[in-house]
Amino acid sequence: MSDEFYLELSENPVQFENASSVNNVFFDEANKQVFAVRSGGATGVVVKGPDDKSSVAFRMDDKGEVKCIKFSIGNKILAVQRTAKSVDFINFIPDCPHTEFTQECKTKNANVLGFCWTNWNEIVFVTDQGIEFYQVYPDKRSLKLLKSQSINVNWYQYCPETAVILLSTTVQGNVLQPFVFKNGTMSKMSKFEIELPVVPKPAKLNLSERDIAMATIYGQLYVMYLKHHSRTANSPSAEVVLYHLPREGACKKSHVLKLNTTGKFALNIVDNLVVVHHQSSRTSLIFDIKLKEPEGAVNTHQPVLPARSIHPYRIPLAGPAVVPTQPPVSCQLYSSSWSVFQPEIIISASEGKDTSSWYLQVKLPPTVNLLQDKGKLMDFLLRRRDCKMVILSVCSQMLEGGGENGNLPVVATVFDKLNQVYKEYLEAEQSNPAAMESGPSRGSAAQKRPIITQAVIDQSDMYTHVLSSFTEKKGVSHKFIIAVLMEYIRSLNQFQITVQHYLYELVIKTLVQHNLFYMLHQYLQYHVLSDSKPLACLLLSLESTYPPAHQLSLDMLKRLSTANDEIVEVLLSKQQVLEALRFIRSVGNHDNVSARKFLDAAQQTGDQMLFYTVFRSFQQRNQRMRGSPAFNPGEHCEEHVQHFVQLFGDQSLLKPSTV
Amino acid sequence: MASGMQEKQFTPCLLSFFIYNPTFGPREGEEEKKILFYHPNDVEKNEKIRNVGLCEAIVQFTRTFCPTKPAKSLHTQKNRQFFFEPEENFWIVMVVRNPMIEKLNKDGKPPTVEYQEEEILDTVYGAVVRQCYSMYKLFNGTFTRAMEAGGVEMLIQKLEKFFYRYLQTLHLQSCDLLDVFGGISFFPLDKMTYLKIQSFVNRVEESLSLIKYTAFLYNDQLIWSGLEQDDMRILYKYLTTSLFPRHSEPELAGRDSPLRPEVAGNLLHYGRFLTGPTNLKDPEAKFRFPKIFVSTQDGYEELHLIVYKAMSAAACFMISASVELTREFCEKLDGLVGPQLTLLASDICEQFTINRRISGPEKEPQFKFIYFNHMNLAEKSTIHMRKTASVCLTSVHPDLMKILGDINCDFARVDEDEEIIVKAMTDYWVVGKKSDQRELYVILNQKNANLIEVNEAVKKLCATQFNNIFFLD
Amino acid sequence: MSQSSLVAMESVGAQRATATWENGSLAPLDHLRSERADSPTPGLVEGTEPGAGQQSAMFVHSQSFEDLTADAEDKTESKNSEEECEGKLDELVEEEAIEEQCNNMSLESRSREEDVSSEAWRSHKKHVFVLSEAGKPIYTRYGTEEALSSTMGVMMALVSFVEAKKNIIRSIHADGCKVVFLTRSPLVLVGVSRTWQSDKELLRELQYIYYQIVSLLTLTQLNHIFQHKQNYDLRRLLAGSEYLTDNLLHRLDRDPGLLLSAVTCLPLPSSARDVVSSSLQAAKSKNLVFSILLAGDRLVTLVRKKDQFLHHIDLHLVFNLVGSSSSFREGEGWTPICLPKFNTAGFFHAHISYLEPTSELCLILISTDREDFFNMSDCKQRILERLSKRSAYQTMKEALQCPSYSVVQVGIPELRHFLYKSKSSGLYTSPQFPEVYQSDQEQERLMGLYQDLHSFLHHPSRPLRSFYRCGETENLLAQVTSGFELYLCFSPLGTKALADSAVIKLLKWIRKEEDRLFILNPLTY
Repeated sequence: MSDEFYLELSENPVQFENASSVNNVFFDEANKQVFAVRSGGATGVVVKGPDDKSSVAFRMDDKGEVKCIKFSIGNKILAVQRTAKSVDFINFIPDCPHTEFTQECKTKNANVLGFCWTNWNEIVFVTDQGIEFYQVYPDKRSLKLLKSQSINVNWYQYCPETAVILLSTTVQGNVLQPFVFKNGTMSKMSKFEIELPVVPKPAKLNLSERDIAMATIYGQLYVMYLKHHSRTANSPSAEVVLYHLPREGACKKSHVLKLNTTGKFALNIVDNLVVVHHQSSRTSLIFDIKLKEPEGAVNTHQPVLPARSIHPYRIPLAGPAVVPTQPPVSCQLYSSSWSVFQPEIIISASEGKDTSSWYLQVKLPPTVNLLQDKGKLMDFLLRRRDCKMVILSVCSQMLEGGGENGNLPVVATVFDKLNQVYKEYLEAEQSNPAAMESGPSRGSAAQKRPIITQAVIDQSDMYTHVLSSFTEKKGVSHKFIIAVLMEYIRSLNQFQITVQHYLYELVIKTLVQHNLFYMLHQYLQYHVLSDSKPLACLLLSLESTYPPAHQLSLDMLKRLSTANDEIVEVLLSKQQVLEALRFIRSVGNHDNVSARKFLDAAQQTGDQMLFYTVFRSFQQRNQRMRGSPAFNPGEHCEEHVQHFVQLFGDQSLLKPSTV
Repeated sequence: MASGMQEKQFTPCLLSFFIYNPTFGPREGEEEKKILFYHPNDVEKNEKIRNVGLCEAIVQFTRTFCPTKPAKSLHTQKNRQFFFEPEENFWIVMVVRNPMIEKLNKDGKPPTVEYQEEEILDTVYGAVVRQCYSMYKLFNGTFTRAMEAGGVEMLIQKLEKFFYRYLQTLHLQSCDLLDVFGGISFFPLDKMTYLKIQSFVNRVEESLSLIKYTAFLYNDQLIWSGLEQDDMRILYKYLTTSLFPRHSEPELAGRDSPLRPEVAGNLLHYGRFLTGPTNLKDPEAKFRFPKIFVSTQDGYEELHLIVYKAMSAAACFMISASVELTREFCEKLDGLVGPQLTLLASDICEQFTINRRISGPEKEPQFKFIYFNHMNLAEKSTIHMRKTASVCLTSVHPDLMKILGDINCDFARVDEDEEIIVKAMTDYWVVGKKSDQRELYVILNQKNANLIEVNEAVKKLCATQFNNIFFLD
Repeated sequence: MSQSSLVAMESVGAQRATATWENGSLAPLDHLRSERADSPTPGLVEGTEPGAGQQSAMFVHSQSFEDLTADAEDKTESKNSEEECEGKLDELVEEEAIEEQCNNMSLESRSREEDVSSEAWRSHKKHVFVLSEAGKPIYTRYGTEEALSSTMGVMMALVSFVEAKKNIIRSIHADGCKVVFLTRSPLVLVGVSRTWQSDKELLRELQYIYYQIVSLLTLTQLNHIFQHKQNYDLRRLLAGSEYLTDNLLHRLDRDPGLLLSAVTCLPLPSSARDVVSSSLQAAKSKNLVFSILLAGDRLVTLVRKKDQFLHHIDLHLVFNLVGSSSSFREGEGWTPICLPKFNTAGFFHAHISYLEPTSELCLILISTDREDFFNMSDCKQRILERLSKRSAYQTMKEALQCPSYSVVQVGIPELRHFLYKSKSSGLYTSPQFPEVYQSDQEQERLMGLYQDLHSFLHHPSRPLRSFYRCGETENLLAQVTSGFELYLCFSPLGTKALADSAVIKLLKWIRKEEDRLFILNPLTY
């Protein structure tokens, strides 16, 4: 059972003191930093980043309650909002004046709802009447308004990855206006409307900020709307609606995730999966919007896997108070004190203990048993991080079973899925080799590269981790083994991927082991095992057990058309000296071969007639080329001349005159 | 050549065919016991005995000169007799009358008959006899097996039952070099389609685990055989010259678009059994299939032969004869294989036409050739138009075919590479090439070509037809 | 008359082969003789090929291969000749003639004691058996007739069993071994061969054996004997003559002449040859039909009576007779001999002697009169005297030193050996064997190859114009036209181009050499 938890919280969470009357806690999604501000900062501010190193601590004068506090990117400048009108700034750049400076919002009697850094020195104020885009000059301790836009705002959300701010406008708040910021410029994106289940009369703010989240999935920005069920509208259960927010063009409702239940939900994005936590059932669901072929404008998805709880978690007690003997306390999951931030952060402030923040992670191995449809499983796994070993183990498992009914078709689909991706990778490699030098086998590495979005299982992976061991297996019928190998080769061919020699070797080895030479012969006959010198040599080595292999191998060498030397060697090794010479003649370079080589071969056969023939033909050649039948000293044929004379007397040596 | 409007030509024909075992009637007056089968049956008893006697004498006499190599044929003015001892002491003898010309004489004299003694090739008819035995063995197992099973009576029965029908299917006048080779014609196919067929076969064998061997043919040409070569060779002979011809109705070669109206109505399922039940729906349907015998490391095994066809694609499934084949099984097979085979058939057809288009349209080749490879029994002939049981049409003069036969005999003498180029009196050129177990025979109609030009022509042929094999020049 | 009948018979035999020839042998020869192209082409007309005689040829020139294998032949021929002989020749000879002849031969006893059930006996390359229609043994090449009487009994049984069905037994075939039957009443000949020779070749050889026996007894004699006594033991008459048959069989394996139905000449400048011929011509005598001068197996010249033709088979029988016995060296031999192709009914009488005891030159004078010894002896003297005065005699003796030539002289690289036969003259020429073919079995192997080619070209129902074989040990090319037959042996590394060009080249060369290699001016008395 325990191996069914496919979600887990990261090891050693960031821990900090709980919020209290004297201690305010803030979380900045942009830098993923937690701020603990004790008594307005006078008694100190502690900033903890995702890893302990990046934690910062400082003091600042208490100038009233802190509403919001954030570092600019790279912790250069700290911005603190204490009033509804203005934001204060403190330089953190070495040798820059440290004294605070303040910026009032430009719009008359507007209230600053909040602010967000879009760069190390660019900041956006969001007020209830619009947004103001400033550049900060830390040295001058002043800001310059770059652009502003007035518009009624109910609330806003910011997506740091894409630097997009989403404003909820209109009375119901369901018309969303996105802005995108890019080094110094602010551009308005097309606004769009979230269709609400029920339109309240009279109109009032109806779309709560808690029900909206932004995140990038598969490189695309989405606005996720958690649509609660409503008795009136016939939506029996809640669902998550995804609006695709393209760089250009209108935003479209593109996906609907069916939650099949009701209650309180929270969203995370992990490894391009949408994770929906359901509090009452204390379980989570995951959705993969790519898992099924698009059916039209809007695609409806069911959870990939059955709902499961996050893997139980025990908090290691931290801080000086630790008593060694005390066991780590298991922390309560899905507690009401949880707050969830995008993309994958969960912060739990359970009373009595320190607050901790985790990254949510997906564990692949458990998914393997939960997802029966192997094809679907492959699609799912292939899009996940560090999936390679999992996939390979799935393949091995799948073959374990041997040939029980209907296994082959599954094997086939799995191979096809893998090779599809493999092929795409190879094509990408073609078009842009530079991006690849790390190679597919280091999938995770390749993943960081621009065009590789997926892991790749190539032939060598398949061979080393799956096939080679599988063919060794006892108790698996050779019929099945061969069938599997042929399926794999079939699949590779189907995607026009050149099959590597070691696979052919494996096939041949298996066939030979079971004396299935006739099968082998037929495969070669239809060029299923494509030609190569190594393969030809392998065949030659089989000749003793299977004579036709000789012919097969010669044919192959012939087809390679680059293997004439090899052919000659093969023929000579079989004492077919004449054939060798005839062959050389047919490929048209008999005038410049080493006479010695062939005379040796001929002499070794002990066939006098043959030796005579070969010797004479070389004399004729010499005559043709040099006008004399004699051999050049360089050719080292003295012994052969001797041998010839010894056999046939020197009167039978060609004399220059006689020809 | 003779100007004879008064002449009548007679092709070679079967005079008699008999099987005997000299050890069965050793004593005087028991000779009849030796005879296990005799065709024609109406021959008078003593005549039979005499003829068997002659054969025994010939065999015995030949032993005095070569004890190890038995006599194979006896040439006489009027006929030739072929001897074959497939199992110890069992002799099969076939007597073939030489072709003859009957010259009608005017002035009412009886016609004078001239026998053409050099027309029959031993190799060809020797092969025919061996084929007769192989075919018997395929369906009945060895003679000895029948003896063990039910003594001489059983054997005699089986022989009667089998040869009575089989001999009628022999067409001696149309036998030629191809019978010597007894080759298999393979269907040319691209790698991918071939692999598809592979996985089809594998899947079927996996889901119907009863199936022990599978063979796959298209257009009467072999694509895959799970049987060993020699068994496949004779099975192929049976399928292509007997079974398929009997079933060739509307859907003939090539016409493989599944879009043509179907009796069964189901456009995706054209499958049907060529052996066993003709109609599965029929409640009376019998689920008996022919049994065949194939060799194994230790002797032979007996198998049901299921031949299932969809359009031009035929699959043979072989299942141990020990299991009872039920309606359920056949329905399952039909349901599983029917659609897949139909699909494959149209795939292959498509591929084939594509490849054909690539390789250019089939233009009548200027040279006719026969190719055979002893290693895989692959056979190719542009001389024969579709050889069926009844007729083997060749597009060349019989004399040329016989010259091919002569050359083939010459090749058979020694196991070395050899090439022979002859110019016939009709000025046709005939080329025979033998290179490492392969034989190629080409007939060229280039009357005033010389040796060199002929050689060039053959080179050209090899370059176009056989550039993918190692063929010594 | 006998000639005309033979020619007629020939064209029947040759019909099949010649039917398709543009310029068949039926064209009148004489007016063609004038045009003797210096660069002869394979297409040239019979009579104009290199080596063709100037005037009428000295042989009955015929498709002798068909002669030997056509069944009809003997009846017709013997009939014809019998009628014809009556006037010209003596009445049937009587027994002592034969005795006499046999005595003239030094009875070299052959070692025939062999266990006929032994593997050694079985594995002889070629057996030949002769038996009477009663199944009585007459001759066996190996072993003794006695030991084989039962085997021969079986042979006869087989023959007659098949005959009983109004049919004729031809041959039995097993792998690598065949048995061939030839019935020539009153004899039956059986050959058992492990060679690759075709049935026809083997039959031809049996024919030779048959004629050999006939030449000792005459057919008339044979028939006569067996009519009287069906199971007569013919060995009584042939005792001591077996070695002739043995020797003939040996020749058949080695001498291209018997294969080609032709004879070869001693290379000699035509000037010298003409002198020699005329010296023979000068010494005529009433009953002298043929004067033949031999150098070993090579013909130096032959002079004949007008209208009397010697058939090459008969000539080969004479060669065999001379070559088989050393007795003629001791002086002048006088022996009756039947020349079956000339006339199966009666005996000629041959005066056989060497011009000089040590020399190879053997003179054969054939007379129709058995009392003619002294006339013949006298003729010989006249010839000798005439010759010794002329320098040609010396030239001839020198020619004896090199009775052949090397193929290298032809100057075709990779050409190893060849046979060339001029059809119209019935003469052939061929160089000596090159080094690689020095051993006997190599030479016999080569002969075997030529026999193959020959039987392919002369296939009874599917004759060929040309045959090329490229093999492991040599490449061979054979061609037959209306004018000549040509057999070439190349190195296995020779190319087809080479072979193709070689034909013309060789024909040119032979044309150049023809008056040395052939007898262009045969004479009559």
